Amino acid sequence: MNLLIEALPENLGGHVIVTVVPLLLAVVISVPLGILATRRPAVRGPLLGVIGVIQTVPGLALLALMVPLLAWLDGALGDAVVVPVFGMLPALVALTLYGMLPIARNTVAGIEGVDEGVVVAARGLGMTEGQILREVQLPLAAPVILAGVRTATVWCVGMATLATPIGQTSLGNYIFAGLQTRDLGSVVFGSVVAAALALVLDGLLAGIERGVARGARGLVMGCALGLVAVLGGGLGASLARPPAEVTIGAKPFTEQYVLAHLLARRAEAAGLTASRREGLGSTVAFEALVAGQLDVYVEYTGTLWATALKRTDAADAQTVRREVCAWVEREHAARCLGALGFANNYALATKRELASIAELAAVSADLTMGADYEFFGRPEWEALRSAYGLRFAEQRTMDPTFLYDAVDRGDVDVIPAYTSDGRIAAFGLNVLEDTAQVLPPYDAIVLVSDAAPAALVDALRPLIGALPVEAMREANRKVDADGVAPEEAAAWLDGRVGG
Amino acid sequence: MLRLHELTKRFGAVDAVRGVSLEVARGELVALVGASGCGKTTTLEMINRLVEPTSGHVELDGEDTASLNPVELRRGIGYVFQRVGLFPHWTVARNVGLVPRLIGWDEPRTAARVDEVLGVVGLPRAEFGDRLPSALSGGQAQRVGVARALAAEPSVVLLDEPFGALDPVTRDRIQAEYRRIHDALGLTSILVTHDMAEALLLADRIAVMDAGRIVQVGAPAELLAAPASSLVEELLETPRRQARRIEALR
Repeated sequence: MNLLIEALPENLGGHVIVTVVPLLLAVVISVPLGILATRRPAVRGPLLGVIGVIQTVPGLALLALMVPLLAWLDGALGDAVVVPVFGMLPALVALTLYGMLPIARNTVAGIEGVDEGVVVAARGLGMTEGQILREVQLPLAAPVILAGVRTATVWCVGMATLATPIGQTSLGNYIFAGLQTRDLGSVVFGSVVAAALALVLDGLLAGIERGVARGARGLVMGCALGLVAVLGGGLGASLARPPAEVTIGAKPFTEQYVLAHLLARRAEAAGLTASRREGLGSTVAFEALVAGQLDVYVEYTGTLWATALKRTDAADAQTVRREVCAWVEREHAARCLGALGFANNYALATKRELASIAELAAVSADLTMGADYEFFGRPEWEALRSAYGLRFAEQRTMDPTFLYDAVDRGDVDVIPAYTSDGRIAAFGLNVLEDTAQVLPPYDAIVLVSDAAPAALVDALRPLIGALPVEAMREANRKVDADGVAPEEAAAWLDGRVGG
Repeated sequence: MLRLHELTKRFGAVDAVRGVSLEVARGELVALVGASGCGKTTTLEMINRLVEPTSGHVELDGEDTASLNPVELRRGIGYVFQRVGLFPHWTVARNVGLVPRLIGWDEPRTAARVDEVLGVVGLPRAEFGDRLPSALSGGQAQRVGVARALAAEPSVVLLDEPFGALDPVTRDRIQAEYRRIHDALGLTSILVTHDMAEALLLADRIAVMDAGRIVQVGAPAELLAAPASSLVEELLETPRRQARRIEALR
């Protein structure tokens, strides 16, 4: 609980910023667009259509799409302008887009809902179109527009929790970390704080709405000041801490949380201030590193081999590592510091009495395969499927946290497993042999940005080759099976390396 | 002083108004009478340029209104609407003071005038000025509508079926009141109505419209004496027939 509360100012502050700022922007953009739509019938359909389509993109996908979009923009604008591709900017853009629909739609509905007789009278008595808008239509539409703002607010508070994977600190940090490390307390804490924030913001807007309806200026001003105070508090909490000297990335699974803490411990031991950006999507982490917005994170050779180099062939671990590292240094402003010493290979695991993937293929038509969000979209899966002719009766996607429970209970028969995962042994699973060598090796390597301070590189160098798979598996098991905090597992691992 | 010259309005393929010419003298109350869709409201709306004529023009005190700024023109002409159209978020006093404020009167002058016209329509400011329109009866709301039309001292007032939605007793009273106000203030009024009885009782002259044209213009007595067509005859006969039937019930 103390660890949770310690992180609250940063997580809540970040959450407030990426909720309130996009809402203000959405109001500033959508109300004029809504007004335009009521005046130009030709604009109305296309405008509401486009905003509506944005709304149908799932929140997580919209956020994730902003990263490559901004990276493209960064490239298109040349060296003169640096566009941050990761963290706050993509979150602000995505949430602003997301908040626009209810506000624009309610602006149109509010203005069109004003009694036509009143508008005709205003025009007939000699009000200009601008006066009609400002003095008649907008005041009468205000309650409807504000109701739209309230809807957008509740949506944005919820969607801001999904900004964590693109590197924006938010209350989602509690939820993503909690889900991955089986810490339900953290998930509940993050959710409750997010719900409380939504209630506070909604309450303040409800106050403004009531104040406007009753012409109570004091109530409107008080609630508006409340909103400013919430935003100011968020900015204060985020700006209070000085920017860290090094930023460490982590993808959303236990091993990465532990390793991020381990790297941070090493950096801090060398006198550097370190901040962690956790729960990043796989490509987000790499994009952020090569853009110089992350200093370091742990990558797996096979991941880059398949997704970045687009290689579908398999090769031995040495070759893959050599080619991947050569590619990173040649193509990007980053390099491999070295391999940590363990591999986190993809493997298929089952409780059934099977020894190899070839044996599995013979019976797969009667079985169910469960996997995390990424797996069925990865080239490795495609390669496995075509090499062995795998055909499952059903394929189910679920959060990686629940995969082991699902295979243990028999809900699914086969899952992809990571060879450094402590739960393989804990759940008594068989790892199926990849006799055709379809799956590439996944050696853990430390990727550092060329912008990383030299002191960081020196501080991390002793970790190279110092983490055998048994040590990593035990650290992962402590978190996943014993409920130890990733921070403490990292301390244990640090001791192993040191001793 | 107000002259409609060969006004025509075409909406798409439909001629709503066809070559309407009419002269209204200062101080006159002229009624435009006809069935729904005969073009009487469109004719009225062309006078203050809420609708622009397809051809023809309107002269106000010898000046072609097409040469004037339409917003300024409207501020100089009183208008009473069928749907009243009071601003629901404004008090009665603020509604009535709208046009004076638009044309830049100072606050004391506006306030004094609001008091005056509310008095003219029989709604003392002390009692009604701070009410919202939702707290008025239908008759009171249209009295406020009349007060709003008179606030900036216009010489011409346009009335678009102003009393049609009121109950008969209120309607009768407010009709008589309007005639009294019209005479007292020396207004020039054009009243659009489908109610021939209203026109006969209120107007100095009546222009009967059918299918976009004026089919007869004349004082009530002239129309009654010599209806120009079977339509005019039918329009005049209806209220009299009703009165006879009511009489026969005794």
